[in-house]
Amino acid sequence: MLTTLIRRELLDNLMTFRFAAAVFIMLLLVVANTAVLIKDYERRLASYNTAVKKNRKNLEETKTYSAVSLSIDRPPNPLSIFNVGLDKRLGNSLGVYYFYVPSLWNAGKHGSNNPLLNIFSSIDIVFIFEVVLSLLALVFAYDAVAGERERGTLRLVLTHPVRRGHILIAKYMSAMICLLIPLLMSFLLVLILLTTSNSVSLSTNDFLRSGGVVFTSLVYLSLFYLIGMLISTATHRTSTALILSMFVWGFLVLVYPNMILTAVETAPQGDTETSAYNQIKQIWEEFERERKQFLANDSVPGEDWDFGLGGKGYSFWGDEDDASSLHYFNYYTGFHYETLSKESEPQVPHAQDYHRFLGLQLVKTADRVWRVRNPALETIYVRPANMEWMLLKFSPVGLYDAATEAWTGTDLNGLQDFFTAVQRYQQAVVGYFLDKKIFESRLWFVADKDTIDWDILPQFYFQRSGIGINAKRALPALFLLLTINVVLFIGTFLIFVRREV
Amino acid sequence: MIWHIAKRELYDNLNSLRFALATVLLLGLMLTNAVVHLREHPTRLQKYHDGVAEYQNRLKSYAAESLYKLAQKGPGDLYKKPSGLHFCAAGGETFLPADAEGGYGRWGLGGEPPLESFWILWYPSVTPNLANVRPDVTKVDWGFIIGYVLSLIALLFTFDSISRERERGTLRLMLANSIPRHTVLIGKFLGALISVSIPFTLAVLINLLVISTSSHVHLGAEVWGRLGIILLITLLYTCLFLVLGLLVSARVQRSAVSLVILLLAWVTLVVFMPNTLAAIAGGSSSSEAALGFSERSDQIHDELWREYASHRYNSGKSWPQKLEAAGEYVTKDAAQQERLHEERLKQRISQVNRARTLARISPVTIFQHLLESFAGTGFERHLQFLENVKSYAQQFRTFTVDTDNADAESLHIFGVREGMSQKPVSPEAIPKFEDTLSLSKDFNTAAIDLLLLMLFVIVLLSGAYLAFVRVEV
Repeated sequence: MLTTLIRRELLDNLMTFRFAAAVFIMLLLVVANTAVLIKDYERRLASYNTAVKKNRKNLEETKTYSAVSLSIDRPPNPLSIFNVGLDKRLGNSLGVYYFYVPSLWNAGKHGSNNPLLNIFSSIDIVFIFEVVLSLLALVFAYDAVAGERERGTLRLVLTHPVRRGHILIAKYMSAMICLLIPLLMSFLLVLILLTTSNSVSLSTNDFLRSGGVVFTSLVYLSLFYLIGMLISTATHRTSTALILSMFVWGFLVLVYPNMILTAVETAPQGDTETSAYNQIKQIWEEFERERKQFLANDSVPGEDWDFGLGGKGYSFWGDEDDASSLHYFNYYTGFHYETLSKESEPQVPHAQDYHRFLGLQLVKTADRVWRVRNPALETIYVRPANMEWMLLKFSPVGLYDAATEAWTGTDLNGLQDFFTAVQRYQQAVVGYFLDKKIFESRLWFVADKDTIDWDILPQFYFQRSGIGINAKRALPALFLLLTINVVLFIGTFLIFVRREV
Repeated sequence: MIWHIAKRELYDNLNSLRFALATVLLLGLMLTNAVVHLREHPTRLQKYHDGVAEYQNRLKSYAAESLYKLAQKGPGDLYKKPSGLHFCAAGGETFLPADAEGGYGRWGLGGEPPLESFWILWYPSVTPNLANVRPDVTKVDWGFIIGYVLSLIALLFTFDSISRERERGTLRLMLANSIPRHTVLIGKFLGALISVSIPFTLAVLINLLVISTSSHVHLGAEVWGRLGIILLITLLYTCLFLVLGLLVSARVQRSAVSLVILLLAWVTLVVFMPNTLAAIAGGSSSSEAALGFSERSDQIHDELWREYASHRYNSGKSWPQKLEAAGEYVTKDAAQQERLHEERLKQRISQVNRARTLARISPVTIFQHLLESFAGTGFERHLQFLENVKSYAQQFRTFTVDTDNADAESLHIFGVREGMSQKPVSPEAIPKFEDTLSLSKDFNTAAIDLLLLMLFVIVLLSGAYLAFVRVEV
């Protein structure tokens, strides 16, 4: 009996105009947007490759350790085509220095994109699903029960020995099969377009991740279908059901996410910022005192940090003071000599001595600063953002977005993975400098005797987190979506069973 | 007779569920909009005033020192005046810079004579999102409420206005009387228009009431005029969707099918088309020059320097000759660098303009452009601001040259300290930057959009008329 019911419903749904029109529009949107998204990805990848090459060239031209500036670039995530998340927005170029722990908030951007183009928002595949598929699900659902009741066929069906639950299940199953068709078709289209583009290379794990996206989409779809069915069972007339579902859709998809984020103010706390900033400043001042003390106590008279060295070269200095991103250091001084004059040769051991002290001290200070800075950044940036993500999760759209972002690795966690890897790399480089006694070597500031082999330096390596971690991050939102599904189904069932036909 | 039909339609709607829901939705959105505006606008104004005060202080301190200092350092940051109608259209202002820098020091050079680079106009680019890990959000402004929500509501009010009557058979009954078909159509249109207008007007009134009662935000006479124009445009835009609904409703036999078609049309036109078209147009033309911007800037700098170095280190030259060469070097450098910056800006603007033009196929984009031009926000406004900045820069430069010429003790060699007037300048005499918004200019930029929107409405209206006249009942 159940199969008969499902077959009837299936034919009912598949042969309709609404189905054909929806599939057509959906595929059109998916193809047009995928083409745009792939092109955009290719552009980002090209700009990444240029940046990497440029950095390598810069590195090879550097003759002394003190003059080195390492820069790490973040490759674009190919799965950002599904859900762009934060992948495109956050910085993708990060400098690595021994006196500063790098973080997400220091990252800049490589490439020369037109920043004015940001006034247009970008669309990804998940957004299309979010809007069109949910609408489609509601359009399928609004007359599922109310329509039959109006036409009287429901009464007819119930005269047979059919369980009411079976009718609901049959309706649900058949509609899900119908909705699966446009979903899978557009998904396959995206994959075909992706594989034909030769710059996008997807690994097995990426295919599994996109499978996760499809599964999440299915759960999201089912949620909207169940909302529609609940409305359809609870109302008497199809027209009422239709209007009600459209308003519910408009509210959940269109109004709530934008309204709640506009209305709720989650401004960063100014006092954390200033207190952390002052603490950091203090640490650097302490460092400066110790440095002066060292210079005063060493065997060379005077407090000159260049020790009267002369030759062909240059000295450099720099400080940075940006309270808004807790970016502060006041000591970034050094010199670089291609050749050294004869008379300054006796000074070299003193300078080496000083740099041994300075290097170690800077590394320690950087570590201390980071211990203040990290929690402060967390409170200023991450906590309000998490708060907003949480508010969004009251709408299924937010849950869906969060889950798919976690699958594709374009959420905050996924991006933080990269920045954590850069931090580890910075530690490795500092460790290498300390191990090989590079701070106190002659090559630190004079390039006349030796050349540096930059290939021995620890290399940066980053791989996106494993699929298991993606799944773990997606699970909370996915679980919530499933729970809402179950609750909605039970609600529909209860109403349907107790209702007079 | 028209009124009769309209009245009947209106009564039908007033008792319906959709009317109640639309009222609640619009009221909620408009209230949110007003409250958020009251919260954010004072900070925006404060920021602007701080910026202007800083600019004036800078001018004063330079002027007190000498004319050379003033001419060399430039006027400083020039701020864009925030619009009082920000709540109507946020216009992507977070992605547009709030100022232009007129005083961008680039280099200094010791030796004889010591040189410092002259100021150029520099256009900062905004990437505020680098540290922003928050979710994306469309600001709930009038552009969103009307462009998205009200258009959807308009469709929900009209999708069944003809097809439902046909389904029930009342259409046949009505047409059996001696009523011309266009009367029925217009009556239904007016009825729907009035029923949509009631909740919207209510919401707008409450919104304006909340905003105007606050002591922080002042809406002047001109602002009210602009609001009137915006409401007229809203009326036109709502008509567009009402007519679209009627058109589809007249052609299609069943109301369910009519709604599906309308929703799909709405999703494509309103949600996807603006962004997809902009992405296509904006992405297609990444015609960045082979050399990066900084490389080209360096190249120009090096070329100029080579030319000048021969003068500078040539001991055969006399002091005035050296000064003259140095002055020429400094002014040429500033002019060429500024041209480079301006070229890049022009390129970027034309890219955005292309994207905006293509996006005009979608009515919601047209509407939002109109809203932005009359609210004084968004991209067109930014272009106006840049115009103002440029003409002010011109004025400022003329002023410095004129003042230098007026000083008899000066050698009139522009660009070097020794060659220019050393006297302090009276701060009152310096031209002040005043960012202005002019309504006539807005009309100019808005004319195309307005005409396009009208064209849309007229085409759809005649389409609906033809469809209804020729369709079998």
